[in-house]
Amino acid sequence: MARHFGRLTRLAIVGVACAMQAFAQTPAPDGSGLPAGANVLRATLSQTALSERVVEYEIDARYNADKKSLDATETLTYHNLTGQPLDTFPFHLYLNAFQPTSTFMREVRLDKPSFEWQEKYRASATVKSLEVVGMGDLTSQMRFVAPDDGNPEDRTVFEVKLPRAIAPGESVKFRIVFHDQFGEVYARTGYKRDFIMGAQWFPKIGVWWQGKWNCHQFHATTEFFADFGTFDVKLTLPQNEIVGASGVETGNVKNSDGTKTLTFHGEDIHDFAWTAEPQYRVYEGDFVGSLGHTKIRLLMQPGHARQAERHMRVMKETMARFDRWYGPYPYPQITVVDPPHGGSEAGGMEYPMLITGDTTWWLPDGIRLVELVVEHEFGHQYWYGMVATNEFEDAWLDEGINSYTECKVLDDIFGKDKSALDLWGITGGDDGLQRDTYLSATDRDPLTRPAYEYLNYASYGDVTYGKSATVLLTLEKVIGEETLQRALRAYFLKYRFKHPTSEDFLKTVEEVSGQDLRWFYDQAVYGTRLLDYEILRANSDVTDWDRSSKSELDARRELFQTSVVVHRKGDFVFPVDVQVQFENGETATEHWDGKDRWHRFSYLKNTRILSAQVDPAYAIPLDKDFYNNSVLKPGDHAARNKLTHYWIVFVQFLSQLLAWLT
Amino acid sequence: MKVESNGVLSEGARRVWRYQRILWWMFAVNALLALFGVRPGAEQFGSVLNYSQHAERLSNSFDVFAFLELIAKPEIQLGSVNGGAVCFAVVFFFFSLFLTGGILEGYRAGRKLRTAEFFHACGVFFWRWVRLTLSLVVCLIPIMFLASMLFGWSADLSENAAPETLGFWVLLVGALLIVGLSMAIRLWFDMAQVHTVAYNEQAIRSSLRHALRTTRQNFASLFWMYFRISFVSWLILAIALCVWSRMPGRMFGWSALMLEVVVLAWFAARLWQRASETVWCERWEVAQATQLSPARPTAVPSPSASVSPTAG
Repeated sequence: MARHFGRLTRLAIVGVACAMQAFAQTPAPDGSGLPAGANVLRATLSQTALSERVVEYEIDARYNADKKSLDATETLTYHNLTGQPLDTFPFHLYLNAFQPTSTFMREVRLDKPSFEWQEKYRASATVKSLEVVGMGDLTSQMRFVAPDDGNPEDRTVFEVKLPRAIAPGESVKFRIVFHDQFGEVYARTGYKRDFIMGAQWFPKIGVWWQGKWNCHQFHATTEFFADFGTFDVKLTLPQNEIVGASGVETGNVKNSDGTKTLTFHGEDIHDFAWTAEPQYRVYEGDFVGSLGHTKIRLLMQPGHARQAERHMRVMKETMARFDRWYGPYPYPQITVVDPPHGGSEAGGMEYPMLITGDTTWWLPDGIRLVELVVEHEFGHQYWYGMVATNEFEDAWLDEGINSYTECKVLDDIFGKDKSALDLWGITGGDDGLQRDTYLSATDRDPLTRPAYEYLNYASYGDVTYGKSATVLLTLEKVIGEETLQRALRAYFLKYRFKHPTSEDFLKTVEEVSGQDLRWFYDQAVYGTRLLDYEILRANSDVTDWDRSSKSELDARRELFQTSVVVHRKGDFVFPVDVQVQFENGETATEHWDGKDRWHRFSYLKNTRILSAQVDPAYAIPLDKDFYNNSVLKPGDHAARNKLTHYWIVFVQFLSQLLAWLT
Repeated sequence: MKVESNGVLSEGARRVWRYQRILWWMFAVNALLALFGVRPGAEQFGSVLNYSQHAERLSNSFDVFAFLELIAKPEIQLGSVNGGAVCFAVVFFFFSLFLTGGILEGYRAGRKLRTAEFFHACGVFFWRWVRLTLSLVVCLIPIMFLASMLFGWSADLSENAAPETLGFWVLLVGALLIVGLSMAIRLWFDMAQVHTVAYNEQAIRSSLRHALRTTRQNFASLFWMYFRISFVSWLILAIALCVWSRMPGRMFGWSALMLEVVVLAWFAARLWQRASETVWCERWEVAQATQLSPARPTAVPSPSASVSPTAG
């Protein structure tokens, strides 16, 4: 009880913060993001919800570990806060995506023709009965719909029409009996040997958003969108299972039949996921943020036990930076799940208060996969978990912003050039990783395209993660890194526990920076223009080139006409800095608005040009080619020689290998 | 029959050292061919890197994403460039095949052969080596098939077996067995080559049969000899890579030198194996002769007689 009380108190503080946001934008001196004086109200407002709680789920589920199936009764209370009467309610049944004729599987096959369906992937969620309290059994009124592609064989969304509409402000209670059959994990949910990841496992109601129901089918490229509320979940399963779940555990009863019933409670969250496996090793840590203590619970595979410290360290370091930079984490617990080998399709996922990592037993410290995944998934507690954007329609808002903050956090922890890789002298920064991803799909899809309408899975990934992060890294050049950090903080504080849109985010950045950024958004966010500036020409020539003979004195006083031509190769217009260095050590830094196709900078000096570089700080990572940004006079062959030599050695060894046959 | 194996390795090393011109030639030709092989690629790299400040990310350190950006550029045609490198590797393969006769003849003679003698031996044995190599490839096909099965099995275990490392251990143990098996087969063919040179054997099948018998009867001592030299070369490579990974990115001149030394050491190791096998064979022949007629040893075939320019 004490922990529960403490949790409510802490949640209340954030609630106060939300309420006070309208009155005071100044963060508290402790950096918690709460308005000064909020603590005074803690006692009186301790029951304040952090979110507009639209749904209340109560689920009583029994998991059969042998059959990998689950039987449950779900009671859902839906509060009609839409302002209008509702008589039709759509629900997700996402486990049905793992069937060969589903839209999800069709899209997988379309994108990857070599994919072969295997029965082990088959999963299903079957509603045995659906009753609306006070209206009777409406099972016969259920019908599957396919709002996105009309696929009659897709069973991931169903809707039910009520005999009478639910008036605004009124609530409706659904009682649903359902049966889940999990398949071997193909994407996010399912089992692998004794491991089970219970995600997207219960009938989940759609979101009334922008004047209509938003309840998309499960696609190969989409994630999720749901309303905030409370979850009370009872899970009965074998006693040897070690369990992790969204929310916090509030009860644990051993049953006489060799099972146990665990009870979980979650507030102000919009989804509920759980996992179980007898082999998990549990590690616990404590993070102290601006709202007090948060328990970190790691469920590690035995073979990865020695990586527990890596997981714990990056969790704490990440939470500290998010707390300091963007705002507090209000929940009392976060669970990190380490899926087993062969089950990595369940890895790298985010659910409220529960994330899944991804590692392997041999991973050296220099390959920062553990850190990249864990940081990224924790970041989703902010950019998805609390700022609950529509992952179907605005995927870049969660994946893109999250990939950007991932760069910032990991750069801060490990150093900018080594935040993704630092092994045997080979290095790589996370911003380089994001940019490399962006370079794979520079102009295919705009960031704002609905996720299920992308060209393909690769483009979806490259654009929503890599390009979005690169766009934000480039935006730093326009408004400054510190301003963008403030903008993200303001965005988080304003839109946590809400469903903001792309425009909400973009306008927040404009408001905080005090700049009209439409010129940038139109090209980078809504458009697909290519950004590429190059030094087209850079040379110095003597002014008196027509004189045939010169004295030594003349030679010393010789004047050179230096000309540097910067060329905009792409159609993306962006202001750039140009740095010109001369042989005598002089440096000229120029600025060009980048609008014309090219621009010439001319100098008359008694020295020659040494180098010219557009964007000398590499502050415009959207530039698709960094190599043409500069011209050195004379050249430096060091890099070529280095690569050539490594290649020679490779060919020498290859030759020896072949000669071994002689 | 027991062969006196003491000092075989040191005698082999002595012959490699004494006849080190072979080593240097092989190394030089290998380096030269590799240089030709990578030249088109080097030019492509140069066209992008030589005048770009972004190249510092590759010269001062090794930024993997700068490298990926480089090879993604349309100016860099890795496919065609790699094709060229492979071609030169194939040329070196034939060069090695051609030299093998001269090398073995030289080690057997225990003295520097005259240029004419050396190339004569190269020419005499070349087609026999082609036939032997084809036989070797045929013998290695089942091994490759086994290796492919092993990879598939270990991948399946890695994915599905409850102990996560099981697939890895299966792969490791299997790979060691396959490497061991390949080495044993190579050793057998090495012995066949030595026998072919010693007896100027025309019939490859006869050489292989004889070598198989010899290798089987003395497998432990022969394999131990072969393995120790291989181990030394692997150890040198491991140490070099360890040092290389700790060298500052800008010191690539030194790292280049070190890697070339490793390449040289690998050549030396292979020649050391061949020289040691030749020495071992000589002792085997002596031991055989002693056993047949303790009082009057059978004359060992004269190496110079077998391949003298007139003895075609």
